[in-house]
Amino acid sequence: MATMHRVVQSSVSTSDATTTSYGGLTSCKAADIVISDQFPAGLRVLVVDDDITCLKILEQMLHRCRYHVTTCPQAKVALNLLRERKGCFDVILSDVYMPDMDGYKLLEHVGLEMDLPVIMMSADGSTRAVMKGIRHGACDYLIKPIREEELKNIWQHVVRKKWNENKELEHSGSLDDTDQHKRGHDDAEYGSSANDATDTSLKPLKKRSNSKEGDDGEIDNDDPSTSKKPRVVWSVELHQQFVSAVNQLGIDKAVPKRILELMNVPGLTRENVASHLQKFRLYLKRISGVAQQGGIANPLCGPVEANVKIGSLGSFNIQPLAASGQIPPQTLAALHAELLGRPAGNLVVAMDQSALLQATPHGPKCIQVDHGVAFIQHLVKSESSSSKHFSQSFAPVEDVASGFRSWPSNNIDTAGPSNSGGLSTQNGNMLIDLLQQQQQLQKPQQRSTVSELRRSINVQPSCHVVPSQSSASFQAGNSPVSVTQNGSYSRTAVIDYNFLSSQSNCPSLNIGQVSDVNLQTTGVLSGYIPPASVSPSVSSCSVYADNCASQQVQTSSITFKASRRLPGFVHSTSNIPDPYGSTKSGDLLNQEPFNNLGYINKGTCLPAKFAVDEFQSHLSSSSHGKVFSENIGTRVKQEPSMEFGDNAKVGIPMLQQFPPNDLMSVFTE
Amino acid sequence: MDLAALKTQLKNFVQSMFEEGVLDNQFSQIQALQDSTNPNFVEEVITLFCNDAERIINEINRNLGYQNVDFSNLDSYVHQLKGSSSSIGANRLKLACANLRQASDERNKEG
Repeated sequence: MATMHRVVQSSVSTSDATTTSYGGLTSCKAADIVISDQFPAGLRVLVVDDDITCLKILEQMLHRCRYHVTTCPQAKVALNLLRERKGCFDVILSDVYMPDMDGYKLLEHVGLEMDLPVIMMSADGSTRAVMKGIRHGACDYLIKPIREEELKNIWQHVVRKKWNENKELEHSGSLDDTDQHKRGHDDAEYGSSANDATDTSLKPLKKRSNSKEGDDGEIDNDDPSTSKKPRVVWSVELHQQFVSAVNQLGIDKAVPKRILELMNVPGLTRENVASHLQKFRLYLKRISGVAQQGGIANPLCGPVEANVKIGSLGSFNIQPLAASGQIPPQTLAALHAELLGRPAGNLVVAMDQSALLQATPHGPKCIQVDHGVAFIQHLVKSESSSSKHFSQSFAPVEDVASGFRSWPSNNIDTAGPSNSGGLSTQNGNMLIDLLQQQQQLQKPQQRSTVSELRRSINVQPSCHVVPSQSSASFQAGNSPVSVTQNGSYSRTAVIDYNFLSSQSNCPSLNIGQVSDVNLQTTGVLSGYIPPASVSPSVSSCSVYADNCASQQVQTSSITFKASRRLPGFVHSTSNIPDPYGSTKSGDLLNQEPFNNLGYINKGTCLPAKFAVDEFQSHLSSSSHGKVFSENIGTRVKQEPSMEFGDNAKVGIPMLQQFPPNDLMSVFTE
Repeated sequence: MDLAALKTQLKNFVQSMFEEGVLDNQFSQIQALQDSTNPNFVEEVITLFCNDAERIINEINRNLGYQNVDFSNLDSYVHQLKGSSSSIGANRLKLACANLRQASDERNKEG
């Protein structure tokens, strides 16, 4: 008998062999994988019934079937037994009505914890009871009195379950199917919000297949009942690769196969990519939903949307500065993500960044800037390692920001737009929005202006988004956002986003009007959103510039208004943070001017006005915008270190030559 | 009496029970379960059953003795008895249980 048992077990194990350990088959399986004729003899059965008469009879019957039987009159004891000796049983026979525990509950426990086939028994053979059993997951339902023939067949449930598990394992692909698990844990990639999203999405997945996922989760090191597949860890780099590949293909056209080819990562299977892509898409959807809430959503929405967004943004911003920061980034991120079709993670990152920004002990201005910056950062971060840039950029912002406040948000907006043509536009819009928002946040007055700006900005193509694509230069990518930081913020953003600046630094940004730093650094981003400074955006930049120009006009008008409101408030929409490096000048502009402006603006509204006017004039001609940007760019560059006086100039250059001059004059006055 | 005689008597007794419907097919199964590895199987089972059934019947009686019979409680006991009796093949007892259950469902103490 014993030997027979062993043989049986080995035979049984062989059937399980494919699945490596069904229910934790013990080592008895050993090597031989031959299903002997003895099977199903040796099947290890656990019988649970409060009726000892019944128990005895069943035991006898099962012995006759040449099964290995363990009886237990109490359900709780049986459960403990199962937990202790996980691999010792193949199937469980349980009575339905038991005094200490309901049979169905036991059934559930076993299913969740051990995933063994459970067969219910009862004298009650009503359909209702049987249905209940099935619903709880019972493999079979026997009606007492039980006949021996019925018991002879219970092995089929064991085999069936094992084979099903094997099949599932095979289907899930070579690399693990738990990249979901991983994704959930990849906070870095998606940022907190994203993570939450993914986590939640993962969780249901986990719960769904208890046996599979649960086991994988639980029995990580041991032999899970289901064969384990190596997990794919979606590291940040890998994810970025993925994102860039997706962006390259276009979110709509991104198919796992092509993504896989583009990524060219050894060991990665199409299934991994497919599931990752699915998650990513869900994330994007989620973000866009969030963004919409923030009012920013739909980056591409055009002016109309922009307005709406602005409004929403404004409100958001105004309320809590910190919050504002978050919102813009998020929206920006969302926008970015959407635009770029990037992994939502980026958005998240952006968002996180904003949060970060806020967290960072920046000066008041920082906060605002933070928003923008944060946002941008997020964007950037999400993109890839460039996130660091943001942080860095943020830092400087702080310095500068001292005076500037909420600028950043504005900046961001502008920065965004500059991004890659299509996408970036969205982003840019987003950025603008953000910026606007931020601006709004910063100052109630600004708000209005910001909104206006936003509007204009929104119109602008969201350029900045693009940067994200180029992950490398990513910094700027999102940077359009940074644009807003007219004040200090913009500076940082701009710098980081230099990318954008190079392009066209969107004079529009400049136009944004250097919001007085002090006052409100409402980086009137005027949606200049520097054309995606990113290389890809280069082309778009030109377009963008045009857009910017047009936008600028709009923005300028807006800014104009804003400026009016704000004393000497220059909404320098730091455009563009084009992180792509070129923006630097833009940054400078933003920052500088702001600083100065802020300083000077305090008392003078004029400059702003001038600027506005200037902008407007500039705006009228797209070329102006371009020129403007150039001017600004150059100016900005020079300025970075400017002092107030200089800064004013610088800031103004953004506005485009005119304003600076005007500003200067104003200042002098 | 010698052994053979006793055996015959038992056999007859059991046979009569079958005919009367006291025992049913299940009992035959249990009888069939008895083999060399478990020579006293039937006896053990019957003993177990009797003990268990006695316990349950006592409970049922007690319950019925109450002014306000707890029918749900009663029901569970009867269910247990029914299960046991059906497992062992005590047909009539099983039927009696069924009747009792039905009566208790109707809250009919008299039944």
